[in-house]
Amino acid sequence: MRVHFLYEDKEWGNIPRYADAKNIIQDLGLKTLFSIAAKEVIYKDGRVDSIDKEDVFLARTMEAVMMVPLSSEAEILYRHEMLQSALDNKEFIYEMYTTVEEMLKTWEALGRRLSGRSTKDSTAKLVSDIHVLSLFVNTLSKIKRMLKENLPGLNARGFADLYDSLCGEFSEEKEEALQKILQDISFYIRDTENEEKTEVKPRIVLGCNLAQGLKCGGFVVEEVHTKSRAFGVRSSMAELVQGYIQSQKPEVIQLRKDMNLLRQGLHLEYEVVRYVVSACAPFVQTYNDFFDQLHFQLGFYKAAIILQQHIKRFYLPQCYPVVVGRDTLRFENLKEFVMAVEQRVTPVGNTCDIARKKLLVITGANQGGKSTFLRSIGIAQIMMQCGLPVIAESYESGIFPSFFTHFTRREDSAMNSGRLDEELKRMSQIVDNLGAHSMVLLNESFATTTEKEGSMIAYDIIKALTEADVKVLTVTHLLSFAQRIYEEAGEMENIGVEFFSAEREESGRRTFKMIQHPPELTSFGMDLYSSIIG
Amino acid sequence: MEFESILDKKLLPDAEDTGMPAFFLDLNLDQIVEKIQSLVQVPVKKYYYSFPADKAGEAYRRAIYKDVKKESVQELLFAFSELAEKRRQAQERKQSVTLGMQMGARHLLEVAAYCDAYTYLYEGLVEAPVESEGLLSLRAFLKNYLFTQEFQEMQKEALRLREELLGFKVKLVYENEQLYVSEDTLPGSYESFLQKALGEHGAELKSPFSTLGNLDDLEQEIVLKFARRHGKHFEEVRSFYHKYREYENEILIRFSEEIAFYLSYLVFQKKMELQGLSFAAPAVEEGKDMCAGGLYDLALACNSLHTDKAVVSNDFYLAKGERFMVLTGPNQGGKTTFARSLGQLIYFTKMGLDVPADVANVHFFPELLTHFSVEESVETGRGKLMDELVRLKPMMSGESQGAFVVINELFTTAANYDACIMGKKVLEHFIAQGCRGIYVTHLKELTQAHESIVSMRAMMDEHKVQNFKICRREADESVCAMNQVNKYHLTYQQLKERLG
Repeated sequence: MRVHFLYEDKEWGNIPRYADAKNIIQDLGLKTLFSIAAKEVIYKDGRVDSIDKEDVFLARTMEAVMMVPLSSEAEILYRHEMLQSALDNKEFIYEMYTTVEEMLKTWEALGRRLSGRSTKDSTAKLVSDIHVLSLFVNTLSKIKRMLKENLPGLNARGFADLYDSLCGEFSEEKEEALQKILQDISFYIRDTENEEKTEVKPRIVLGCNLAQGLKCGGFVVEEVHTKSRAFGVRSSMAELVQGYIQSQKPEVIQLRKDMNLLRQGLHLEYEVVRYVVSACAPFVQTYNDFFDQLHFQLGFYKAAIILQQHIKRFYLPQCYPVVVGRDTLRFENLKEFVMAVEQRVTPVGNTCDIARKKLLVITGANQGGKSTFLRSIGIAQIMMQCGLPVIAESYESGIFPSFFTHFTRREDSAMNSGRLDEELKRMSQIVDNLGAHSMVLLNESFATTTEKEGSMIAYDIIKALTEADVKVLTVTHLLSFAQRIYEEAGEMENIGVEFFSAEREESGRRTFKMIQHPPELTSFGMDLYSSIIG
Repeated sequence: MEFESILDKKLLPDAEDTGMPAFFLDLNLDQIVEKIQSLVQVPVKKYYYSFPADKAGEAYRRAIYKDVKKESVQELLFAFSELAEKRRQAQERKQSVTLGMQMGARHLLEVAAYCDAYTYLYEGLVEAPVESEGLLSLRAFLKNYLFTQEFQEMQKEALRLREELLGFKVKLVYENEQLYVSEDTLPGSYESFLQKALGEHGAELKSPFSTLGNLDDLEQEIVLKFARRHGKHFEEVRSFYHKYREYENEILIRFSEEIAFYLSYLVFQKKMELQGLSFAAPAVEEGKDMCAGGLYDLALACNSLHTDKAVVSNDFYLAKGERFMVLTGPNQGGKTTFARSLGQLIYFTKMGLDVPADVANVHFFPELLTHFSVEESVETGRGKLMDELVRLKPMMSGESQGAFVVINELFTTAANYDACIMGKKVLEHFIAQGCRGIYVTHLKELTQAHESIVSMRAMMDEHKVQNFKICRREADESVCAMNQVNKYHLTYQQLKERLG
């Protein structure tokens, strides 16, 4: 049984994550994003009242889904369609999610994960198996009913497809048969459900042979049935007489006369019920993963709904990104979402339009907004590649399932041969893992050695990468590297290089906006000089 | 001659008494037999512990094994063994009977299974292309036995009663702490309902009663109630039991057990052949040179089945007048393995089975004697030499006339000079006793100890790397230096591997 809310043609699981997921999360600060998507906004009178505490499952779900890139435009559009339907039917998504969540909790309480239960406790195991069966049947009925009721408003194909396949695999007839089976064996769970004032008794008819030297064998079941009668209702005289006559027949064994017989009779009940329940095992098996899948996949859309509440709360722009060729990158008013959440500021939006370029070199002084710019692209790319909206007025880019970040972290930036060694090692791991359609974000890489050495290393690596058709976005203040690239840009026609730098107003004031501009081949020492010496 | 046993012309002393022979561990035969045992259900190890009484006994077995290898004969024997096993199980189930009525029914099933098995065997033997004395005399024995009036009557009655018993259909209605027992054929309609509603589910309704042989209390009640309807049947079963309490023929029962010896080896051999190992039925022509081609160590081959190691095989012959092979050569050069494979060749020939080789001609030896140093590593101290001599003594003092002797590295702890003298004495002793065999040693002097000795050497290739080939060559001086290099893993090949 399949859910297919995340992919049109497959379930969640065993789809490769970004090879470098751990570093991507750290370099782009995505933990903040996972966490905020798991904290529900509580409204009161249409206004934000408070923020709920983090739902760990939702945060993990968001992380898991975001770290697995979609690989085609069709996959991205399928998620957009599902997400839009979810946003339009928020109550339905919440209700279905809650139903499944509660079902899983109950299942857990019934001993889902206790596989190696001792055989001595087999009766208790059987009783809980019956409860699990009943839980499955009832939950499926409910899900089917909810889907049916909401279907007119659910435009995305995924919901209709699930309803159709439920109708096929969990048909009316199957549901009825399972309800009958549950009714037939209900006598077995009488002890745990005695709130009703009825007396329940089984009637079982079996056939067998004596072929194994008078051992009874070759059992077949003819009838299993639970009879119930209200307590305290007295039998009529005729019934009593009938019962007495029956009990006096020579072919009748009175089990009550001996504890052993009574016990073996109970064991006969056990085996018959166990048989019926295990006949239902393939049914249970079919849906074994289904509820987990449904829980997880609905979890993603619930988290996406929450994420949108936060985007609105921070008055950030958002749009569904558009998939274009891989040498194009075009966006308007793109903002860095993690910074917005963390620092509660509205970040500067950037706009750019570059076509037929594989290498972006971003230069400029510290604190000029370079890293923020690079991260905003990275975050947008990851959000786009998992089907989420992007924090921009428009965003157009290619799909890069092989996506890497190589950020020199602040604490690393001391000049130290050990650090460089680490950096090169990580670079080498990235090279090991590069696949088709790669994008690499480099932030101040190779700054842990001298400017000259670092420039040479960066030049060689970046040239090799771009020649191997890898899209590279690099923030650098290795000036000789930037200069060399700039001088050779004409020759690197086939690669295509674009330069960005921090915008400076005439007055020297920084706007934190990045603009398409040739590299500033100075370290802005003059600014400093003039500001101090005057 | 009247049939007595399939293992020898005359009944052998009970095999369990003899235990594992002295040479078993030296030749790693315990590992082979362990492997054989792991492939079959019934216990067969004991049959591998004793040789037939004499030369004729070995030939008797060889002829039988030749028959057993025929496709139609083995099919017959395997099928018969299954039937015989059913009888044995039925007999076993009688042990746990509590209700007299049940004893009768069980005994009936046992006798019926007995009749099935031997009738099947006889009919099969009439059709099958058997040529061996053993199987032909068994067939004659069966013919006399099965067509006696007594057997015929017993069979007829047993089959009739069994058919009745198997036909009983019991209906049980469980309700209100009562169980109503009656007779009816039930189609299992609830099962059909489950099948229809849930599809193929693979669930199985287990008996609510114990799986032991005896009847549970409730089961006993059911049977008693049911028996009231069929008094006549149960009365007839009771008198059948009393009439045929002792029904079995001891020789035939013994045959059903002993045939497992041949079948177990056959199963093993086929499995090994599938893995690419070859087996040969040895010729036993005394007039021709004793020889073998493609001889290998079966125990080693079994163990390296799932590795990529190639099985090394060798050829040898012993011409008329040649008594002993004295084998020298580098350590890890395949000397011990070759000695073992020779011992195995003699062992399997004497057992009447196929040998691990492509082709072989093996003479008759009344005994197989072996002496392997327990540890191949060189130890110092008097203890070991003493121990070796103590173990050697019974070999040299007992009945060793004409035996085949396998000796591996004697006196390694003694000084070379002493070891040479002692080794020479040992060789002279066995040669005087008319024995043949192989003597593995690092003392090249021993190759000259007697004119009937053949010098053999474990060879090396052009890189001075052991290639495990054993050839007729003079002992080689350079071997000693090679040993040193080898010991420190410094040969070309070893260094390649270490540095690779």
